[in-house]
Amino acid sequence: MQILDFGYMAELFPYLLGKLPITLGMASAGMLCALVLASGLAIVRVVQPPLINGAAKLFISFFRGTPLLVQLFLFYYGLPQLIESLVKIDGVTATILGLTLHFSAYMAESIRAAIVGIDRSQTEAALSIGMTQSQLMRRIVLPQATRIAVPTLMNYFIDMIKSTSLAFTLGVTELMGATQKEASSSFLYFEAFLTVAVIYWVVVELLSRIQKLMERKLNKAYQR
Amino acid sequence: MTFKRLASTLALTVLTLGALPAHADIKVGMSGNYFPFTFSKHGELQGFEIDVMNAVGKRIGEDVTFVTASFSGLAGMLDSGRVDTIANQITITDARKAKYAFTQPYVYDGAQVVVKKGNDSIHGPEDLSGKTVAVNLGTNYEQLLEQLPNADKITIKTYDSNVEQDVALGRSDAFVMDRVSATQVIKQTPMPLQLAGQPFSKIENALPFRDTKDGLALRDRVDEALTELRQDGTLKTISEKWFDADITSP
Repeated sequence: MQILDFGYMAELFPYLLGKLPITLGMASAGMLCALVLASGLAIVRVVQPPLINGAAKLFISFFRGTPLLVQLFLFYYGLPQLIESLVKIDGVTATILGLTLHFSAYMAESIRAAIVGIDRSQTEAALSIGMTQSQLMRRIVLPQATRIAVPTLMNYFIDMIKSTSLAFTLGVTELMGATQKEASSSFLYFEAFLTVAVIYWVVVELLSRIQKLMERKLNKAYQR
Repeated sequence: MTFKRLASTLALTVLTLGALPAHADIKVGMSGNYFPFTFSKHGELQGFEIDVMNAVGKRIGEDVTFVTASFSGLAGMLDSGRVDTIANQITITDARKAKYAFTQPYVYDGAQVVVKKGNDSIHGPEDLSGKTVAVNLGTNYEQLLEQLPNADKITIKTYDSNVEQDVALGRSDAFVMDRVSATQVIKQTPMPLQLAGQPFSKIENALPFRDTKDGLALRDRVDEALTELRQDGTLKTISEKWFDADITSP
């Protein structure tokens, strides 16, 4: 018996590749929204304005403390039972929403850590030459914090790409859902899942390359 | 601002934000991974359920749109109004009857124990004591197993899908599925599986609708279409196309 049906894999590959845009699209949209939200949350957590700080803490606590799948079910199936018109949210939107909220909670903490990690002497030096608080943030702290945060943020993006595989539970036929449906008629599970694993892997590997380039650029000032 | 006002404002925002799916007359939910009822080959959704629902749609003059999602997500889709019914061999049970409005059964089937090829020690549910049995999540086979007299001696493993593979690999001793699909899986795929004895419980499958005024109205129209399709032989033809047998009558 032949171990692997390579013919089937070759046939499946281009079809699955066609599902990559929906997977990457959801992950990219989620990443962009999460970056914005996480930056806001991180700044709130650093500056600690009385009321908003508590809200940010609660937000992070909930979205970091519950599984993404549970959150997706809550948005997609739970909310429309409370507010009927929310049924208009489609699976793609619900997935992006879920990814945004879930990952922004994690990312907020790593951005906060990056900001807090900038040595205090930098702040003191900037203030001593008369920079305002916002100048200090924009010109001194954030550029350095970005450099520290990039590797972990990229990690979250990679995680996010793979988390889109949960979207089939919400009726979105993305990469993983398409694989499951195809495998269910051919029953060549090993071949199908191997093919999809290779696709995910290559995508993530390409991103790792991009990350290296970004890091090199951000590290320029530190090279001797 | 009242809650209602707030809710409608929020909904309006969402309405403009979310890309709306094209309006369809009947939206049918299915897993798309239950061979040969609903499955996908080269990206094209096909199977017994698709043929039946298309025939129903034609009969009542409505467009049918199919929405595929994990089986575990289908009931939520029906409850939240994202689909109008589920065509995925939904078995009528008392609990489901209490919540949904069902059409007449359009498939008559039985629960079947399936084992790895060459395993001749299991001949039915009574031989499952001390064994590990795989079932798919959200199906009623788990309940059927729990009602067996030897239920407390059976280890049930629940999967989201792919129970056939688990038995073919030898990780579970058997899986329980409807007889019709099990026969097709054995016939049409290279998986080393065999039926263990006769079906042990009768199953009637039908289409569930929401128990609301609109849901009931649609149910009645679909039910009438099923009666007509049964009378003019369409159901039988579709069944024979996929199963070489008529599974649509008792």
